[in-house]
Amino acid sequence: MGKIANLLGRRRRARMEEDLDRELRYHFDRRVEDMRAAGIAEGEARRRVAIEMGGIDQVQEDVRETWTWRWIEDAIRDARYAARSLARSPGFTATAVLSLAIGVGASAAIFSLVDQVLFRLLPVREPERLVAVDWNGNSLSYGWGPGAYMSYPLCRDLMKQDRFFDGVLCRFPTVVMLASGEGHQAEPVGAEIVSGSYFPVLGVVPAMGRHLDEQDDVQPGAHPVVVLSHAYWQTALGGAPDVVGRKLLLNGFPMTVVGVASPRFRGMDIGEAPAVWIPASMKAQATPEWDRLLDRRAGFMQVFGRLRPGVGADEAQAGLLPWFKTMLDEDMRREGFPKVTAEERAKFLASTITVRLAPLGRSNFRQRMDRPLVVLMAATLFLLLLASLNVASLSLARAAARSREIRTRIALGASRVRIATLLLADSLLVALAGGSLGLVVAPLVSRSLLSFLPQEAAGVGLSPAMDGRVFVFAFLVSAVAGVSCAMAPAWQAGRVSLIGSLNQRWSGGADVRARKALVVGQIAFTLTLLVGAGLFVQTLARLVGQGPGFETAHVVTFGLNLKRVGYSQENAQRATQRILAELRSLPEVAGLGVAGNTLLQGENWNNFLTVEAGRRFVTDRPVDLNPVTPGFFATLGTRVIAGRDFDGRDARPAGETGGPRSAVVNESFARRYFPGGSPVGARLGLGDQADARADMEVVGVVRDFSYRNLREKTEQAFLPLFEGTLSGGWFYLRVRGVPEPSLASVRTAVARVDPAVPLMGLRTFDDQVARSLTTERMLATLSTGFAAIALLLSVVGLCGVMAFVVTRRTTEIGVRMALGATRGRAVSLVVAEAAAMIALGTALALPCIWAAGRVVEAQLYGVTAIDAPTIAAASLLLTLVALAAAMLPAWRAASISPTEALRFE
Amino acid sequence: MPPERFPIPQGTLDMLVLQILSLGPAHGYAIAQRIEQISRHAVQVNQGSLYPALHRLEVKKWLSAEWQASETGREARVYSLTKVGKKQLALEKESWDRLNAAVKLIFAGNE
Repeated sequence: MGKIANLLGRRRRARMEEDLDRELRYHFDRRVEDMRAAGIAEGEARRRVAIEMGGIDQVQEDVRETWTWRWIEDAIRDARYAARSLARSPGFTATAVLSLAIGVGASAAIFSLVDQVLFRLLPVREPERLVAVDWNGNSLSYGWGPGAYMSYPLCRDLMKQDRFFDGVLCRFPTVVMLASGEGHQAEPVGAEIVSGSYFPVLGVVPAMGRHLDEQDDVQPGAHPVVVLSHAYWQTALGGAPDVVGRKLLLNGFPMTVVGVASPRFRGMDIGEAPAVWIPASMKAQATPEWDRLLDRRAGFMQVFGRLRPGVGADEAQAGLLPWFKTMLDEDMRREGFPKVTAEERAKFLASTITVRLAPLGRSNFRQRMDRPLVVLMAATLFLLLLASLNVASLSLARAAARSREIRTRIALGASRVRIATLLLADSLLVALAGGSLGLVVAPLVSRSLLSFLPQEAAGVGLSPAMDGRVFVFAFLVSAVAGVSCAMAPAWQAGRVSLIGSLNQRWSGGADVRARKALVVGQIAFTLTLLVGAGLFVQTLARLVGQGPGFETAHVVTFGLNLKRVGYSQENAQRATQRILAELRSLPEVAGLGVAGNTLLQGENWNNFLTVEAGRRFVTDRPVDLNPVTPGFFATLGTRVIAGRDFDGRDARPAGETGGPRSAVVNESFARRYFPGGSPVGARLGLGDQADARADMEVVGVVRDFSYRNLREKTEQAFLPLFEGTLSGGWFYLRVRGVPEPSLASVRTAVARVDPAVPLMGLRTFDDQVARSLTTERMLATLSTGFAAIALLLSVVGLCGVMAFVVTRRTTEIGVRMALGATRGRAVSLVVAEAAAMIALGTALALPCIWAAGRVVEAQLYGVTAIDAPTIAAASLLLTLVALAAAMLPAWRAASISPTEALRFE
Repeated sequence: MPPERFPIPQGTLDMLVLQILSLGPAHGYAIAQRIEQISRHAVQVNQGSLYPALHRLEVKKWLSAEWQASETGREARVYSLTKVGKKQLALEKESWDRLNAAVKLIFAGNE
């Protein structure tokens, strides 16, 4: 917008300059000619004329000044005039400014988050040269994350590919227990385990000390150093100036702080801002449960490269392929390569490598949030459009009220453009006021939005503060809204006929039609938002109503990991036994079970299973797995519907080693793989490899309950876990009475064993359920709020138009009533007009609802995007509210006495 | 003894320009020439202030301008009086006459 105006202004200006130049040259030449005619020599004549004219440059400068003044004066005059005239109609001004403030505020708030999550480039050197390097195909690796991830040794191989890369790095995000010093309580914090090349390749500068480098990533276990995030340094260490050189306890292991990152750099994953960066060489200390740093079949590292200048991602991908294929070949001949079927081997060898530009890094948070954020952004844009329609409609009404003034101006010789400029100044002023107010509101909306995110995501690194980009967005949005609001009245003004317009009473027929069209648009948008809100509210209600599949009211949960606070395996087992005993001794504890993986936190462990039941087959998709102790099902209150729960029989006899001997499966598993039969007695084996041993006997079937989240209904298999071997896990307690008081007693019970042991996520299970529904709740709450505001805005719009319609038809109504029409008949006249608008708006909304449905589909549960009852309910609500709004002016019309109505003319 | 040629008093150039143009459209050079001719060279137009004045009057919409072939055949920027300009000229003349009369009265009183 601004650019075009600027361009036009510049071209116009250039033409004016050229004209002036020609004009003055003409004068100069004529004067010289005249002097020569009078007998003065040419040189002398030129000299004299130059003196006479006081220097051409000076004249040009003086003329230019008159131009500039006009523009500034005009602009100031228009703005002053607009401000005065707005102040004279405070009702209009307040409604218009507030409407826009709501629209701009909401969309700026959402835009701020969308920008931070979806658009912001990584704050590193030349992020546009960063690429993500992925494995594409079957890597035959133990699954940690998507199969695209690579092993650390493979990353080191890639580092040598300097034909394409100016450096390669890898990272593994995880959670570690960090204590800010000896004797301090350890807290779970986000961490990034990174290759030594991480900071040098990204090219970021530390705020203090130094970053990790290649020298910190040479010998596994030999580099106990970390870099802290600026936020962690500030909050956990109070910004201590002497932090570099201090020792922290990472999972109970002492590590020296060598530097603090810049506050701008928060890792490569928006949504998972780490508190600490750990060199890959210390992976065994950072994740004591599993190391596998040097295992070529452990794909857990996300690999990024920095392309050499001039090298494209495609070029790098194609160039790397020969090397990659050779690597596959070598890998297969390596010792320890898994025994696989010929088919799998072929799949492995068919793997390729993918190189994609990744200037934004890679973020699970982004993948999870992008759809909801796009939905919210769309909703706020609808809201903004609605607010603009409202202001446009109000502006039309105002222009109509000012039509006499406008026509007077036209009669006095003001050009159409001049009138349009005046109206534009009016709208722009309103828009900018609305936009500014919107920016004041935006951080509040943004903050409440962030509060919907789970508390653990405090490290998300999202900020409710509005930055320059949001200001630009809000300004553009307001300006566009302002200009488009001025369009309708300016167009109307252009159509006012000049001849006789001063004394002619203006019927305003076209004007009413335009305003009605705007209201129809508002109704359509409002209905769309109402339907959206209805769908999200139902989704949330269905999920809450359905629950995880067991009675949650009396369950308390927490996680424990003793090896992460410095315990050895034996001590951890002993302490866990004591903790279990302490918990069982609590009077309110009615049941206790432990699981290897937590429920409803998005985590899971899955693998294909090989099944032997008469014949041998592999499950056609991965089965969700979880090791649980005997009594776990009873604690949750899940019924065992066939066979039995785990018990002592499932443990291997003392001295015998090996994996689990038995398994329990859920109903979904039984239904999918044993339709009509019972899986009890069948044998299962982990994995789909040809040499997978199916030696776990299915001993029972349990009812389905949720694992990763409330939405998914998956096939699950449970493996036995025995209390004597535990060094931690996820604890589930069934308590008597309300669960909240038990949180404190659980904490003291564990503290009796070791007060330094941190409990992860200690909360009631109801709380856990609520936390797992943050996105759904955010969508339901915000969309309902937006729909309510939309409803309010369109009621204001409808009310305004109806009042106008009534004023226009006052005479007609008066005549009708004088001729004996009842009051009810008069009301229905007006209401019929409103009903027609509502009906048309509803009809127009249907395609909008259909299109919006495409966008929201993935977010819904238990309800389809095109849900007839929801649409019906929403339009009923809208119709009732809108008709009620129309009744008011209608009733007023009918209350006018016929004589008064006739005098109105 | 008064000087041979008057510089134009502040603020009166606008009026003179409007007056000249009320006789017919003219370009800048012609306007200057005519003011000097009609005043029998008693008034001297300062060339450096003529063009700013013309543009100022154009900005105020009292004049309009157009490129036209001049008497020499070369294109010149020709100014003409607008409707608003005519009204303005009438107003200025009236107030000038009133001021003139008042000044005369004051001088007459002193004699």
